[in-house]
Amino acid sequence: MTDSLTLDTGEASRAAAQQTESAEPTREASSIEMQGLHKRFGRDTVALDGVDLVIEAGEFFTLLGPSGCGKTTLLRILAGLEEADDGRLAIGGRDVTETPPHKRSVNTVFQSYALFPHLSVRENLAFGLKMRGMPPADREARVAKIAEFIHLGDLVDRRVDQLSGGQRQRIALARALVNEPDVLLLDEPLSALDAGLRSQLQVELLRVQKRLGMTFVFVTHDQQEAMVMSDRIAVLNGGVIQQVGPPREVYEHPANAFVARFMGHDNLYPISARDGDRLTTPLGVLSAEAAGEGGLLLIRPETLDLLPGEPAGDNQLPATVSERLYRGSHAEYRLEVGESTLQATLNNRGRHLPEVGDRVTVRVAPEDLVTLSE
Amino acid sequence: MRKRTLKRGLTGFWWFTLAFLYLPLAVVVLFSFNASNSAASFTGISLRWYRQLMGNEEILSAFANSMVLAIVSSVIALGIGCLIGYGMYRHRHRKLGWLIVLIYLPIVLPDIVFGISEMAFFVQIHRLTGLFQPGLGTMIIAHVTFQIPFVALIVYSRFVGLDPTLFEAAKDLYATPVKRVIHFMLPTIKPALISAFFLSFTLSVDDFVISFFTAGPESATLPIYIWGAIKKGVSPEINAIATLMIGAVAIAAIVSLMFSRRRQA
Repeated sequence: MTDSLTLDTGEASRAAAQQTESAEPTREASSIEMQGLHKRFGRDTVALDGVDLVIEAGEFFTLLGPSGCGKTTLLRILAGLEEADDGRLAIGGRDVTETPPHKRSVNTVFQSYALFPHLSVRENLAFGLKMRGMPPADREARVAKIAEFIHLGDLVDRRVDQLSGGQRQRIALARALVNEPDVLLLDEPLSALDAGLRSQLQVELLRVQKRLGMTFVFVTHDQQEAMVMSDRIAVLNGGVIQQVGPPREVYEHPANAFVARFMGHDNLYPISARDGDRLTTPLGVLSAEAAGEGGLLLIRPETLDLLPGEPAGDNQLPATVSERLYRGSHAEYRLEVGESTLQATLNNRGRHLPEVGDRVTVRVAPEDLVTLSE
Repeated sequence: MRKRTLKRGLTGFWWFTLAFLYLPLAVVVLFSFNASNSAASFTGISLRWYRQLMGNEEILSAFANSMVLAIVSSVIALGIGCLIGYGMYRHRHRKLGWLIVLIYLPIVLPDIVFGISEMAFFVQIHRLTGLFQPGLGTMIIAHVTFQIPFVALIVYSRFVGLDPTLFEAAKDLYATPVKRVIHFMLPTIKPALISAFFLSFTLSVDDFVISFFTAGPESATLPIYIWGAIKKGVSPEINAIATLMIGAVAIAAIVSLMFSRRRQA
């Protein structure tokens, strides 16, 4: 780790390389290494409490967590807009812990887009290149190229105040990408948009990232968005990373109760006793195939099966349907099992969908049970 | 029916108020074009008072003084007030309310108190150091002091109206501190600066009391000249000067208002 944090001595040649034109807006992606980052606001607010994290070159990496978890602070430290109280940060193998933002080859897509109101769209796009001292002709060429790449069309000739939210978002993305940064930072860039436009831009953003192969660090509080977009997700809470992993791992094997709840899981039950693979829970005794150490049992709603009739065998529980939300492609159930409730999701595949008040049997597959710690 | 009567009544009141405000000005403007010497009767339209004005060395020099004073003091106040406005914006989250009250005090202080204080101060300094001989120099300093709060307030409110993320976007897009000022801050607050300049200009041209106490024998401005002249009675010439001043101040005020209204979304 310390090896890669040494200062790059070829700083001048590197800066020169950034100025040269490349045929495609692609360049070698950069990794990010964080070591023991701490940040405190005032005396009492701890925003980051020791963050160690390595983001691989070319990754679409998401910082996920509730508001106040430190995800935005971490992003701002990567941008240089905030300085860590303690710890080291390296981008592309170069230590940038104390580098001011205007000297970092990192660009940000801000939540409010932050397009300059006194400039036209074209001037907004060229702003970063102009500040770096690129000659006007080269700037124009680069702006034209990025406008084509993001399919901006005639938006380039509009005034900023003539743009809609979605258009502003794309201009903000283009204004950052045109600089061909080592790393692109995105601070909840889609949160101000309505649902339809949002999923459309999610897809577009993902395509852009895959085509450029650039390292993207994305901040969101929306776990669905994080799962759709990311190669890997880091879940943060209280300034501490709770879990890092690919979306499936974080969703299916949450590291703790916080991650499980944040990923949308409600079926969490304390394990009061265990006998080998047989776990005693408020629902009853269940066998799990690979029960871990933790004291909490997680049952994912989509792994459950609802059968008619009475329980007949292991891992079958008697239940009453207390609520059904029909969603077309699937139905969401709330079931009463003794004193406990259980959420289940059933795919709509032409089978019988039990109704409210029905007595059913819940079948729990042993291989889908996961234990985790509080 | 009653609603209509009320509406008419209110409209009438509006016109009455306007008349109340502008009739005296209209009288001055009208009589500045009076062909006769007498202020009692209007005998026909003529430009003789304006012609006479142009030949009056004293008036021309007073006019020149007024312009030099207004322009120089506005430019200086713009520079200092702009920095103060930005400072107030940057530190708006700190508990600096008392400092802001301190900056605004000159606005609420009666002009006569302010003017006498300035004069007493300049006299003392002059006695001790020989500097600050009463004249245009001391007047400029005095005017700058009362213009600064207005400039600072206008610049501050423009900054407060901006998305704070813009400052970060400028940093993020490789702008050094100097380039941030040149390519982001100054162009963004330009309408506020223009508005502040014309407001300062208007305030300076309008001022009589503070100018009176800080002026020297050679530095009479138009208001001071008029004050001296009317001791001998209101001549139609004074009406002509007043009309020109009304015009100049109105233009400056309108320009100031136009730029302060111009919103950049």
